[in-house]
Amino acid sequence: MEVKVLFFGILAEVTGNVCKHYREVKSIGDLILRIEDDFPEVVHYKFRISVNNQIINNDPILNNGDEVALMPPFAGG
Amino acid sequence: MVTDYLTNGPITQKIIAFFIERMGDRTDSGGHSVFLGQVRADEINGKRVKAIEYSAYEAMVKVEADKIKVKILSEYVDVKSVDIVHSTGIVNVGEISLLVFVSAGHRQQAIEACGKSVELIKEKLPVWKKEIFDDDTHEWRQNSSV
Repeated sequence: MEVKVLFFGILAEVTGNVCKHYREVKSIGDLILRIEDDFPEVVHYKFRISVNNQIINNDPILNNGDEVALMPPFAGG
Repeated sequence: MVTDYLTNGPITQKIIAFFIERMGDRTDSGGHSVFLGQVRADEINGKRVKAIEYSAYEAMVKVEADKIKVKILSEYVDVKSVDIVHSTGIVNVGEISLLVFVSAGHRQQAIEACGKSVELIKEKLPVWKKEIFDDDTHEWRQNSSV
């Protein structure tokens, strides 16, 4: 299985990525650990997580093809 | 061109004129309230902002902007329509980066709903901004904490 991870705002800058795919991740918690392994600087930033355009507050199971976004605090308007 | 609430670059006079010209079609409206957000030449630590670069999670902007419209239309029963346009990419000082256009039967709800729409946009829309200074350095800004 594979999920797509999108990085926004300052996270895109510090990771040098806007999009990265991860395989064989079971849950959000698992995914975040993998991301922190790849990009340790991420731990210094606050962000919310969405799965398929819905902000999540728990640790849902991930499915093949899910789109996960790491979103720093918004700054629109 | 505006696609799903977003336009690349500043919101032009042509875009603004499009919404103003359309007012006449809304014969059930007695009042229109328009908010235009402009990039301001802030001075921060001795450096002056010359532009803002906006980025957005486009698919989620559509989801969230749709929700904002539904919320405003349900809370303000006299409001007939809500239009939202936000810039992505570079917008220079003095240029417009946000348009909110609310039409209502009467002025009170047009004005209140327009203000509420702007607050919801700042809270809910997945947009990020990087202030670019006159020395070409930049800083990321946020509206609210997670």
